[in-house]
Parts: sequence; C-alpha cells; structure tokens
Amino acid sequence: MAELSREPQAGRVTAEAVEEDARDPDVEEVVQEPRVRRLDIVGHRNVFFAISLVIIVPGVVSMILKGFLLGIDFQGGTEFFFKFQHPVTLQAVESAVAAQNVDGVVQQGTGGTYIVRTSQLDPAGQQRVTDDVGARGGPLEGGRPQEVILIGASVAREIVTGALTAVVAASACILLYLAFRFRKVQGGWRAGFQFGGSALLALLHDVFLLTSIFSSMGKVIGLRIGEIDSLFLTAVLTVVGFSVHDTIVVFDRIRENLIVSSRLTFDQVVNLSIMQTAARSIITSFTVVLVLLALLIFGGDTLKGFVLALLIGIVSGTYSSIFNASPLLVVWRRLQPVR
Amino acid sequence: MQLVLGWPVRLLVIGLLIFSLVVDGAAYIYRLQNHIPLNEPLPKGQNPQLLGSDVYVHRGLDLSGGSDLRLRLSNFPPGRAKADVLSQSVDVIQKRINSLGVNEPQVNTVGSDQIEVQLANVSASKAQEVIGQTARLITTTWVKDPSIAVGPNVGYKPQITNLTADMLTSANASLDQNGTSWVVNLTYNSQGAAILNTLSTKEYNACSQQGCPEQFMTQWLDLKQSDIDNWNTVAPQVYKPHDQGGKLLVDAVTQSVIPAGAMQITGNFSQDTAKNLAVLLNDGALPVDISVISSTDVGASLGADSVKRSVAAGLLGLIIVVVFMIAFYRLPGLLASVALMFYGALVLAIFKTLSFTVTLPGLAGFILSVGMAVDANVLIFERFKEEVRAGRTVGAAVEAAVRRAWPAVRDSNISTLITTIILFFAASGSVKGFALTLMIGVLCSLLSSIIVTHNLLAIVLNFGWTRSGPLMLGVGRGRA
Repeated sequence: MAELSREPQAGRVTAEAVEEDARDPDVEEVVQEPRVRRLDIVGHRNVFFAISLVIIVPGVVSMILKGFLLGIDFQGGTEFFFKFQHPVTLQAVESAVAAQNVDGVVQQGTGGTYIVRTSQLDPAGQQRVTDDVGARGGPLEGGRPQEVILIGASVAREIVTGALTAVVAASACILLYLAFRFRKVQGGWRAGFQFGGSALLALLHDVFLLTSIFSSMGKVIGLRIGEIDSLFLTAVLTVVGFSVHDTIVVFDRIRENLIVSSRLTFDQVVNLSIMQTAARSIITSFTVVLVLLALLIFGGDTLKGFVLALLIGIVSGTYSSIFNASPLLVVWRRLQPVR
Repeated sequence: MQLVLGWPVRLLVIGLLIFSLVVDGAAYIYRLQNHIPLNEPLPKGQNPQLLGSDVYVHRGLDLSGGSDLRLRLSNFPPGRAKADVLSQSVDVIQKRINSLGVNEPQVNTVGSDQIEVQLANVSASKAQEVIGQTARLITTTWVKDPSIAVGPNVGYKPQITNLTADMLTSANASLDQNGTSWVVNLTYNSQGAAILNTLSTKEYNACSQQGCPEQFMTQWLDLKQSDIDNWNTVAPQVYKPHDQGGKLLVDAVTQSVIPAGAMQITGNFSQDTAKNLAVLLNDGALPVDISVISSTDVGASLGADSVKRSVAAGLLGLIIVVVFMIAFYRLPGLLASVALMFYGALVLAIFKTLSFTVTLPGLAGFILSVGMAVDANVLIFERFKEEVRAGRTVGAAVEAAVRRAWPAVRDSNISTLITTIILFFAASGSVKGFALTLMIGVLCSLLSSIIVTHNLLAIVLNFGWTRSGPLMLGVGRGRA
C-alpha cells in the first residue's frame, strides 16, 4: 500500500523529467564522438559477405542437385509412429510392414520408436497395418501407434502452395512496410526502398541459409531432422519476422543518427549505429536461444526439427542484421546515391 | 509518453491483472471445491466455469489425443445445389458422431466439397467406421409370431419389405394441410410407388379397427435380419429412437392407401424433429461417396507427454530469462521479470476465456514469445544505459529511453504481426494455432514491456535508494 500512496508523486517526477529532457540540446551528446567504434564492420563487409556465402553456396548446390527430404505433409502418404512395450529389432518391423504390401519404408526413431511410411491408407487400412505390426513385432505401448498421419496428394499440394504463398506475401508486405516507414529519410521513397530492400536481402539470406542447412542435413547427411514440412516453413516465417526485427532496430538507429549528425559520412553513421545496437541484438537473440535450447532438450520429438530450424534461423538472423543488412545498405547507397 | 504513466492506463493494467488472476485462479478454486487433486487431469465433462462460461485451456487434438479427418465428398447427385448437399452431409455426420458421446466434436466444411472432423480421444479408424457407416433406410411391416414376448407389439415381429432406400428420391419436412403441425413427406420413384401402393393397400385393409399391429408401417435405420431373428432379446435395444442408440426412425399407422409414391408421416413432430428425420431419411438414399483424404491420429499418451515436455521447457525458459534479466539489468531487470509474469498470466487468461484451441505448435509459439517478450525491455534498458552514461538524470534517462526506443519497438513488432497475420490466413491447421498464439503473445508483450515495466520503473525510482548506481541499475554515473 505504501507504494500505491506514492504513485501520484511518480507522475510528477517524470513530468519534470520530460521538461528537463526537452530543454536539452538533444541527442548530440549521445552521438558525441564515435567512442564505441572499435570494430569497422562496414569496412570489412566483404569478409562478412564471404562468410555467409561459404555456408549458402554449397547449400544451394545441395538444394539444386539433391533437393529436400520431404516431410509427410509435403510428400503425401501415411506415416506411423510405433512404440513397442518391449525392444523390437528393425528387421521385425520391416518384415511386418513388407507383408502388408503398402510400399512401406521403416526408419528407427529415438527412444525405441519406429517411423513407418507407406502409401496412402485410409484409417481402416491403417488399422490393418497396425494390427499386423503389433502381431509380428510385439505389443504396442498403449495398444496403438503413438501417432498416425495420412496426407492425400491434393492436401499435400494445398499445404505447399499455402506455405509458399505465405513466405512470398510476408516478404512483400515487410518490404512495403519498411519502405513506408523509412520514406522520410533523406532521399524519400527511393531511400525507403533501399532500407526495405537491404532488410529484405538480409531476410532472404536467412531463408537461404536455413533451407541450405536443412537440405544438406536431410539429403547429404541423411538426418531425419532435416525434413521439410509445414512446421519447418512456419519456422522460416518466424525467423523472417525475427530477422526483420533485428534489422529494423539497426536501421531505426541509422535513421535517428542521420538526423542528428551531419559531421559523419554515411558509412560512419552506419557503423556507429551497428555498434550502438549490437549489444541489444545479441542479448535479445541470446534470451530466445536460451528458451529454444530448453525446448530442444525438453520438447518432444515432434518439435525437434522445428526448434532446430528456429535456433539456426535466429542465430543467422542476428548475424545477418549486424553483418549483412547494414553493409548491404552502404553498398546499395554507393550504387544508387540519393542526392 | 505521459499518457502511459497516467492513472487511466494504470487502472486498466490493474484491471487486467485482477481479471487474469481471477480467471487463472478459477481452475484451482474449482479443483478445491470438487476435491480434485492438483496434479490429476480433470474428469471428462467437468470443466471449470466462471459466470457461466468455460475457463480452461482447450487442448488441440495433438495435445489431448484424438483424430482429425478430412473427408472428400464425390458423386454429388445431379440437380441439387452442392452447398445444400454439403451442409446436409455435415448434419448427417454430426448426428452419427453424436452417438460416440465425444466431448466437443468439431465438424466443419472445407472448401466446396470437403468436410473436416475433429474428435478427441477417438481413433481415426473408429471415427471412419462411424462416419462411413451406411445408414440404410429399412421399411418393415409387422407379422404375427406367437413366440414374441417383448417389444411394442407382443406376438408380432417386424418383417423387412422390398421397399428399399434407393427407391426414395426425397424426404422433406413441411407443415400439414392445415398448417398446424409438422409432417415428413417422402417421395418414391415409380418402382417404389408400385410397391408402396401394394403395401399400403394391404395394410390399410388389414383390420377394421384402426390401430391393429398389422396396420403399422415402420421405418428403421440399418435394421438387420439378424435383429429380427433375435427379436426377443434385442427388441428393447433396437426399438429405440435412432438418436438414443436404437435403430427406430418412425413407427406409424397407415391411415390411407398410398397410390402415387408420395407418403406423409405424421406424428408429434416439432419443426426440429421433422427436419432431423428428413435429413436422416435423405441420407439413407443420398448418393454421396465419402473418402478420407487426410487424417491425423494422436494417441492420448503422446499428447500428455507433449504437454508435460512443453510446460517443462516453458518453465525452464522463463526461469532462464528471469535470471538473465536480473543479472544483466538489476532492478529494471527485476521489474521486467515482474512484467513478464504479468504477461504470462494475461496470455493464459486470454487463452482460457476466448476458449480457442491450443495446439503443440501453438504452445511452442507461446514459449517462443516468452523469449521475445523481453525484447522491448532490452531495447529500452540498453538505451537507458546509454542515456545515463550521456549524463542524464535517472528519471530523464528512463523517459528518453522509452521515447527513443519506441519507433524500433513499434516497427519490429508490426513486422512480426504482419507475418503472423499472413501465416494465419495462408497456412492450415496447427500452423494457424502457432500464428494465433504468437500474435496474442506479441500484443500482450507490448503491453507488458512498454506500459507495465515503464510504470513500475516510474514508481520504484521514486525511492532514493533505488537510484544508487551500478548495483541497482546496472550502470554507474558518468562512466561516459
């Protein structure tokens, strides 16, 4: 209650604070001299571009040559998760599935589970496979498969189309929104599109890096976690939002610094802004990474690929917003000067 | 920013806090009242309520266990509007599912020729069996059998006639000639009309006094010859209305000869019961084929395991973020953590009152938003440190930090909202849940990180001791 009775005072104190603040000669003192300018990111931009390309280029090659390991909802078909009460060999499950003549492929999962993929089976057909696997492999935990998913070919097409539409539409909307927000920077809409476009390129960097790594994991190394499904695309979109988040914070600082400091060159302003916001970007990503690590360790198997995608994407998003987005803006400015 | 610190905003926040605590606490009070241990799942059908509306988290099928089926209808009858056939099929499927006694079944149309069915705690094969059952309209008369000791007519048992379901062309409900009571009109094709003519003539003339058992013509769904053969044992169960687990549709006296294949069933119908019967009868003859094009079937144990794991991950994530924020930002970090708790309680209360379904990706979205919720705080606190180093007073630094961080907070959150909105409309199924929880999370985190933290800071910074340097604020004076 003591706190409550003090609250009106709080209002007064801050009111004064605002007035005092307004009387200040303003931000000049914050920008002062480029004290924090220890690392010349803009100057070494080619190094950072190269680091990104080293990861992305092989990944894109893998994407073109090998494609992706498709999840059930992109490929269509039926997927069973079997968990047995007693340990069962892979061969036993394989023979049980083979006997059903349903184009079955068996994979061993974690914790004694088996993942079986077959052609499209309606629930009655699924029951037959389940019964047979139970009869030959031994009793199932809970008397039934942990999970059975059937995706028809038309549904798979629908999901892929919906997901791709979402990625393209989100990218376009974000570009427009950023161009709108930054249109008041010197140079008008053209500068606005430079900001928006750079953010978009950084965003595409994250999308390509993420898909590259997943293509390599799924097809080159052959890990099941590298599967591409609608959850993966959800992760991509979340990363898109998050990456733009980080980039906007840097760009917003550039916008602010451009107004208050006419002494610095554009390159210097950009570098200063990166330095001023890097701590925040890294700290925020760090908190999210911690939470995601908790999810990766404790979360169920079904979410592992999703969480891993988010983890890679968020680290990439932070990297790209610091080392790619703003340097790209500098390059773009040089190619297309505003006034 | 003056408005944010005003009393109207504070009262709103306090109101939201009370609302959250009441809603979140209702479940515990409910458990105490009903002597349900805190760590046990609630018994089926016993969900906490507050002022007449549900207050509990509705779990998606991937968390509660159950099945989700997408059905495609094909072979639409020519000459009928597709939409009518679709909505009628939904009604029919709904009725059949009701016989399973599932908690909150969902039957919805998808597009122009698909139906989605969601059933908690029912396996997909059981669901398909119930949905795909062929409801055959069976017409019987009653014949003498001295061995019959049960049923509506002792000494009589039903006899299946050769009037079959595929001869029925339509069934619809209407008011009778007087416009006073509801009737069901059946129309048969020429073959059916001929059979009906013979049948009704024989029935009408069966006895002089109206109402003898021979005069009854009875409509059933799925009555089998085996039922009739065991009539003495199954009659009490079979001779029960269809919606009460029996097979009986209607048992009526033939009041006239029916010459042209147009039969009217009268009885104590209400508008609803007449329509329902028409729907059911139509279905018996409805030539729509149903095929399952996608299904998800999650075992209850996997769902429970997912919930347990997600809650553990969420709590761990929350603790890590709180420890980190306090270690890094000291007093402001502590206040941000308090705001984060408020955020968690508010989101949970919103989930409970809006009673939308939380799926596994939805839970992941919520947990992710805990990590992201402190983002705006981090932005403001980093800015606060800068402003203090630049020589402002603590109070002025807070104001400046909030004001200058705002455009970045606004733009970045709007871009995330754009993504979630597009996801919500373009994506399907469980991804929608993810988009929705993330959207609610982003909105609530703005409230907690900007308004709540800022107000707490303004209040606490009134105490002189809170402004004393690095130990409290994580930043010393004049280090710039």
